[in-house]
Amino acid sequence: MTAPSRWRLEAGGPGYPAWLADLGDRAPRELHGVGVRAAVTGLEHGATVTIVGSRRASSYGLRVAERLARDLASAGVTVVSGMAWGIDSAAHRGALAAGGTTVAVLAGGADVPYPPSARGLYREVVAAGAAVSERAPGVRPERWSFPERNRIMAALAKLVIVVEAAEPSGSLVTARFAIDGLGRDLGAVPGQVGVRTAAGTNALIADGAPVIRGADDALDLLAGVGTRAIRRPGPSLDRELGVALELVEAGATSPDALAAAGVDPPRAAIAFARLELLGYVRADEAGRYTRTALDAPAADRPDP
Amino acid sequence: MRSVAAVLASIRTFTILGVDAHEVRVEADVSGGLPSFALVGLPDTAVRESRERVRAAIANSGFKFPNTRITANLAPADLRKAGPGFDLAIAAAVLVASEQLHAEQVDGVVLAGELALDGAIRPVPGTFAITRAAARSAASAVAVAERCAPEAALAAGVRVVPIGRLRDLERLGTDDEPPPPQPLRADGEGDAPSLPDLADLRGQPYLRRGLELAAAGGHSLLMTGPPGAGKSMAAMRLPSLLPPLDDAEAGEAIRVASACGRPIEPLLTRRRPYRAPHHTISTAGLIGGGSPPRPGEITLAHRGVLFLDELAEFRRDALEALRQPVESGRVLIARARRVLELPCRFQLVAAANPCPCGRGEGSPECECPPQSVRRYSTKLSGALADRVDMLIAVAQPDPAALGGPPGERSAAVRERVLAARERQRRRLGPGRCNAEMAPPETRRWCAPDPAGAPLLAEVLEGGALSGRGHERILRLARTIADLAGRDRIGADELAEALALRRRGRR
Repeated sequence: MTAPSRWRLEAGGPGYPAWLADLGDRAPRELHGVGVRAAVTGLEHGATVTIVGSRRASSYGLRVAERLARDLASAGVTVVSGMAWGIDSAAHRGALAAGGTTVAVLAGGADVPYPPSARGLYREVVAAGAAVSERAPGVRPERWSFPERNRIMAALAKLVIVVEAAEPSGSLVTARFAIDGLGRDLGAVPGQVGVRTAAGTNALIADGAPVIRGADDALDLLAGVGTRAIRRPGPSLDRELGVALELVEAGATSPDALAAAGVDPPRAAIAFARLELLGYVRADEAGRYTRTALDAPAADRPDP
Repeated sequence: MRSVAAVLASIRTFTILGVDAHEVRVEADVSGGLPSFALVGLPDTAVRESRERVRAAIANSGFKFPNTRITANLAPADLRKAGPGFDLAIAAAVLVASEQLHAEQVDGVVLAGELALDGAIRPVPGTFAITRAAARSAASAVAVAERCAPEAALAAGVRVVPIGRLRDLERLGTDDEPPPPQPLRADGEGDAPSLPDLADLRGQPYLRRGLELAAAGGHSLLMTGPPGAGKSMAAMRLPSLLPPLDDAEAGEAIRVASACGRPIEPLLTRRRPYRAPHHTISTAGLIGGGSPPRPGEITLAHRGVLFLDELAEFRRDALEALRQPVESGRVLIARARRVLELPCRFQLVAAANPCPCGRGEGSPECECPPQSVRRYSTKLSGALADRVDMLIAVAQPDPAALGGPPGERSAAVRERVLAARERQRRRLGPGRCNAEMAPPETRRWCAPDPAGAPLLAEVLEGGALSGRGHERILRLARTIADLAGRDRIGADELAEALALRRRGRR
């Protein structure tokens, strides 16, 4: 296992998510991070969703959270959560399964996987995304640091979705703070009446929070009704890479497929490596590549 | 009947432990008393049964089996003796002790052979190692079965006497001695049957490129893809691209094959061993072990290729046990009394389906349950994956390509491989290749040029790689440059190596 890289972003400095300033004097002075730096420095407020919910979630809640995160990640949304048991972990797993980017905001140091039993998930998160914390590396989470962490989770996203939450609960506190304290959008996944973990989310809906039935509802809230994917323009491509990307979009999943289409094998490998570095494709452990949500600038497309 | 005198006999022989020969002395004492034949010195069942073979062989060779009290001892007594290879030495000791054979005739001679009941000598495994050890221990001659004699002569350094029957012991050291055997020729291809050729691999340009790189730098390779993508076919063709064994390597490979009772003739053509154990193999079968400990497949693949088809189906503990030997080139098998060290410097080639059905997760036809897909990806990313230099995902070739013209022949690819290996030899020394570079060598020989350096920095800073991961990529980039005849690693070499790197679990 290769050791993930570590970095630090200062408030107001390059790469620091500017909209965290909405927290006013409670904005974190610095963010310590582990994993892919670009997962945080490249965050866009309008393409970031925080998913929170109960640690003791029902299997229905876990399924919904994972599905929601997967579909959002496929649509180009970065999924933020807190890596806790239950809904949080399901959200991270869903985003990872889609080959998407996910950010875990931790209550202890960013290099301290918490809960400790989520080490496996932590490794995956920092390999494809990042773990961040305002607290110094190495420190253990404290009771008071969880609500503090929740305010950062709420502030990072434009939309906060509560999947399952009892009443009262930390997730509800986060949700109410997101609306009242920060003016973020809030959505809730409806649950079965009478089930403890659905009481909080159903109460949010009763109070007027929009119903989230799936990624489409979330995208409607995030980017306007009818939006099905958030496309972000990627770095520009030279002609060779532009052609390669076209082939990938036509179904080529590895340099092998490019070579079969007539590209010189070394050039095919080089094209995939560079597309991966630019963020256009991502490979799984079997070496097959998938296209990310990054959009090629139109000008770079080769003529048809 | 001759009166039996109390003469003590001591005969030299060797036994094989792992792939090394260890000296054993066979002593025999014939004394008055009730007829009996005791065999002591930690013999196993096969050695204990040797008494019956020795008794019959002596009687059927025109000698007289002494009808008194016989004690044969195998020294050192703390070494467990296995196998039938002591027969000849035990028989000779009994004959000397009963004064039917002059002690001077077998003085300093190493005897190794199994006896047939009619007194014929049968071959024993490990003749090559035994002869080498005998030469080092200043034996005057080595007497082995006729069939083993050419193999023994290959070891050189000591007089080899082929003997066909027990009676031939009388001719040892006389003018009547049989002529020394013709050593086997170890001079390359000869008229050996040809290896599977790369020309059979039609289409598949990326897979061909991967094989060429693996051959050129000795890099370990994992191929993933659906059944029918040509993974096994490609692996089988790797030996035809590899450089021939040099003298030292051939000696090591012959020693292993001989000790394991496997034919050594294929190695005389200087071809590298190729082993492809089935995925149901036990850990002991793969790594070596058992009782008595025997070399495993990884040792049989020493100086050659070990191909693990269906990598994800191998037992988890077997793959775990492979990690350390892959890294160090040797395997240690600890037993109560001694630690056996076996050589296992091989090139690892593995193939795997991306999921149990082979169609690939995410493809519409894949019907695999999520748990088994996860089990597969864990296997691919865990255990052995961090010892793999190159990862190649291949697809089923286009049917049109299968009907197309044959690909480039192995001989042409091998020319390029040999040229690249020659560059490595000049840099690293004889017999060494890029995949084996130690960290200081990697630093010295793999620094990217001004165009490549920023790319490497970008990759390292992006958190995609670090430590061993990036050294593997540099070594692979070195091979790409060597194949192209370039002195420095440029951006293209680095990028191609990056695309071929193994992938961790996301």
